[in-house]
Amino acid sequence: MRTFEYRTPETIDEAISLLKEAGGSARPLAGGTDLVVQMKERATRFPYPETIVSLDRVAELRTIDFSDSDGLRIGSGATMSDVATHPAIQERYTALAEGAGVVGSLQTMNMATIGGNVCNAAPSADSAPPLLVYEAEAVIAGPNGRRSLPIAELFRGPGETALESGELLAELRLPVPPAGTGAVYERNTPRKQMDIAVVGVGVSLTLSGDTIGRARVALGAVAPTPRRAQAAEAALEGQPANDETFAKAAEAAATDDCSPITDIRASAEYRRHLVKVMTARLLAQAANRAKGTS
Amino acid sequence: MAQETKAREDTGTDGAGHTAVGRRVTRLEGAAKVTGKTVYADDMKLPGMLHAKALYAPHAHARIKSIDTAKARAAPGVYAVITADDLPDYKRNDSNRQGLIFPDKEVLFRGQPVAAVLSEDPHVAEQAVEMIEAEFEALPAVLDAVAAMEEDSPLVREPLHDVDRSEERGHVSVETEETEQEGEPSNIASSAPFARGDVEAGFAQADVVIDRTWRSAMVHQSYIEPHSTIADYDISGELRVWTSTQAPFYIRDELAQAFGLPESRIRITATEVGGGFGGKIYLTELMVAALAIAVQRPVKYIMSRKDDMLAGTPAPYAHIELKTGMKRDGTLTALQSRLIYDSGAFPGAPMLPGCMLIGGYYRCDNIDIKGYEVLTNKVSVGALRAPGAHNATFAIESQMDMMANELGLDPLEVRLKNAVGEGDPMPNGQAYPAIGLRECLEAIADSDVWRRRREVEATPNRGVGLAVGGWLGGLQPASAIVCLNADGTLNVTVGSADITGSNTSFQQIVAEVLKVPLDMVNVETGDTRTAPYAGMSAGSKTVYTVGRAVKEAAEDVRQQMFELAMKRLEVEPEDMEVADGQVQVKGAPDRAMTFQRFGKLSTNFGAPFPVIVGRGSITARKMAPGFSAQAADVEVDPETGQVTLHGYAIAQDAGFAINPLSVEGQMQGGASQGIGIALWEEMQYDQHGRLLNANLLDYRLPTARDLPPIETIIVEVPSEEGPYGARIVGEPSIVAGAAAIGNAIDNAVGTRVDEVPITPERLLRAMGKL
Repeated sequence: MRTFEYRTPETIDEAISLLKEAGGSARPLAGGTDLVVQMKERATRFPYPETIVSLDRVAELRTIDFSDSDGLRIGSGATMSDVATHPAIQERYTALAEGAGVVGSLQTMNMATIGGNVCNAAPSADSAPPLLVYEAEAVIAGPNGRRSLPIAELFRGPGETALESGELLAELRLPVPPAGTGAVYERNTPRKQMDIAVVGVGVSLTLSGDTIGRARVALGAVAPTPRRAQAAEAALEGQPANDETFAKAAEAAATDDCSPITDIRASAEYRRHLVKVMTARLLAQAANRAKGTS
Repeated sequence: MAQETKAREDTGTDGAGHTAVGRRVTRLEGAAKVTGKTVYADDMKLPGMLHAKALYAPHAHARIKSIDTAKARAAPGVYAVITADDLPDYKRNDSNRQGLIFPDKEVLFRGQPVAAVLSEDPHVAEQAVEMIEAEFEALPAVLDAVAAMEEDSPLVREPLHDVDRSEERGHVSVETEETEQEGEPSNIASSAPFARGDVEAGFAQADVVIDRTWRSAMVHQSYIEPHSTIADYDISGELRVWTSTQAPFYIRDELAQAFGLPESRIRITATEVGGGFGGKIYLTELMVAALAIAVQRPVKYIMSRKDDMLAGTPAPYAHIELKTGMKRDGTLTALQSRLIYDSGAFPGAPMLPGCMLIGGYYRCDNIDIKGYEVLTNKVSVGALRAPGAHNATFAIESQMDMMANELGLDPLEVRLKNAVGEGDPMPNGQAYPAIGLRECLEAIADSDVWRRRREVEATPNRGVGLAVGGWLGGLQPASAIVCLNADGTLNVTVGSADITGSNTSFQQIVAEVLKVPLDMVNVETGDTRTAPYAGMSAGSKTVYTVGRAVKEAAEDVRQQMFELAMKRLEVEPEDMEVADGQVQVKGAPDRAMTFQRFGKLSTNFGAPFPVIVGRGSITARKMAPGFSAQAADVEVDPETGQVTLHGYAIAQDAGFAINPLSVEGQMQGGASQGIGIALWEEMQYDQHGRLLNANLLDYRLPTARDLPPIETIIVEVPSEEGPYGARIVGEPSIVAGAAAIGNAIDNAVGTRVDEVPITPERLLRAMGKL
């Protein structure tokens, strides 16, 4: 690994001023499970950083709060283990607990943060489809104060986000899911752990009786960014929650909502096939969860 | 894990009266390993030590136009930059991977080292490597072994000459004829034919003939510790090397020849090996020694995971065409095969053992086998636990099932009917000694996995499959020394690197011969100057050969004590025995001398006895092949093609299990690797010869969560020469996995995939669903 400056701010403001000071040659470091590996392998998508701004001592980034009125606030420095085991998340944001709970290995999850997973902006990021179906807002701190963006607008391309130089993702805000909602995230990987999603699918269904009120479907690893599957959602909303509906929505997701590539993990054709199979299965599972909660 | 329990494991002795061998013993070095105390090569630091980082060729095949090292040399902290021009004199042989440190004209695979930077700071060295300005002119790269055999194929390299095959012989010792490349330049490095009978007549007699081609991916040993070597040389002509190797004496011999040094001036220490699996024989030591000689300072070279995947010696891709015929009654009538092993840019592919095994499991009067070792512009290959065996076994064991299915015969019965036994010929005509192939098949029939198969098969998309696998084993002389200490304890010194718990087995052997508790015996692997000679720890032969020498050395100690005790005990040695840490008169334990007394009387000032040092020295000429039978219980997701393993069983003939705990560990470890080969492991190259998954994320080894409990059944058909009847153990367990899982998948969904790893995508395509 090449040499670099290592800074350890203790507040968000201090971190931002360090990032600003270093200009484009600085990178924030959270858990390091992506960044450090990329640096060692010379595989960063950006110029090799001259300054590393560690967020490890920034305690305010690590909090997770939930209230019935304000919903969920997750500091970007919360680890995947923090997220996956948080009682409120396990109860009300099942898909997110599932996404955070499959990243790498237990050791990876104890180091990796949700902010890092989002800002690394891999199309396969496991926290992304859940955040998309819960319509999370990204709160961004920067030299000019704070701004907020829908999570879908944060992802710009593989490894690319809407963050400007000197900006940090501070927290994620997730509204309270409506009553009667069931959500699920699953990914397909060749191995059961220590792997990267070939396809990831997040689904959230809000039922009134047997009819689908609101549907959110998000896909990972089948487009340049994690993305919502609007065609599938349109095929679901207002329809009866049954296998026929789910099959149509799955078909729409595979046909209209993804543009997978062929790489060493799978062919585009197999990915598209998986989108269809997994979407149908997960919609049925989400519907069952919705019925359990309504 | 399911364990076969044996009476002898719970009591002090077995039926043969053994007190130490045959018992489940934890490893001598285990505590140090689990507490992080073990010193690996990378943990070592020598005064003045430099770190080496290599520049690896960025092309699969290219002419070297120039290498400008000026900028790298000028970088602060850089001690030296060494290219082919700066190396000390050595006996260079461009035909062998290990005979060529840095090329000066042509690079033959992507990842071939072409220069090294030395610095006291490894990070400085790494950065300076990027400052070397090397210019290459790309040449046509040949990447497909089958296409490379065509007459009009571009050539991978200049013709070979004087190929050194000594390393391959360490893994398997069989009498074979092998024709080296000669005449018209071609990419075929060597070929070997094996034939008997008349295959055409054999196929004419058959009621079913199957003709298929089977492919198996290039895979990497993926030891947790990458290649790690330190070398130091001083002007007196003394060369020392500390390296993670299975073969310290082999390295000593090779370095002595390369540098023209006497073997007495070279001292190789095999540091604790963090996994070898055949891949840690001899690779980086010549380069590191040459660098140390060049700069006259200690040099350390530690490969990163990526380096090791690019420039190690992985196991070959193989393309195997197989045609087999069987009669309605299950008799195998003919076997014809063409085996093509992709050797990469240098010779060394294990084509011979593949040929020996494809026609070596079953009696067959008519065989026609041709093996080819073919060069390509990829990293050259080496041994991986039973090198070449799984590739060939995947072919024959898949077809045994296919033929049985076509004929409506039971796959286990068909195998039992044809399985080779003592006296049956191998493809080269050599007769098998006593082996346990049939016994393994009988034992696997009793496994939980196989017994539940009818029940499992009734579940949709579930299936159970079976395959056998074996290894012939290597042979080399060995020796050992056992010394009696002043307090009556014993020190054992051997020259074999301990990669499997072999030192613990030696401890048991000495404790058995001398009837002392295990904790009175310690075992050390010495370096090549302090230890007596042993062959490489490869070919599964360590306990089989070095164990015999250890037993002989312990018996020598016993005999010396008997002779020394004659005066005091007033009986002849024939009337003495050892028991409870003493030499005693048979049947009269009160007329005795303790080991401690012998120790004192042979070491104190003015002591009357000479020092007691036992010596064991053997040669090994008789093979003791090892076989296993394995059964897999799988479930296929018919929509995604994903395979889940619900159960796995292995029955293996160990001859005699000196340490059943360790034997079971070998069985489970090898089976796990076989499962990895079956379902996940594959080095993926692009059309430019670039390795796309040079990391353990995208090169997938099975994790603990991917593996089911592995049921182990030890079978014991004694070998003729091995200690207490032990035979080779380490390698056979990896061999059958690919075929067993392929057969189980076919049993589950009626689809056969002719290529391992059987990825979900390959399976789904074969099922016609993609």
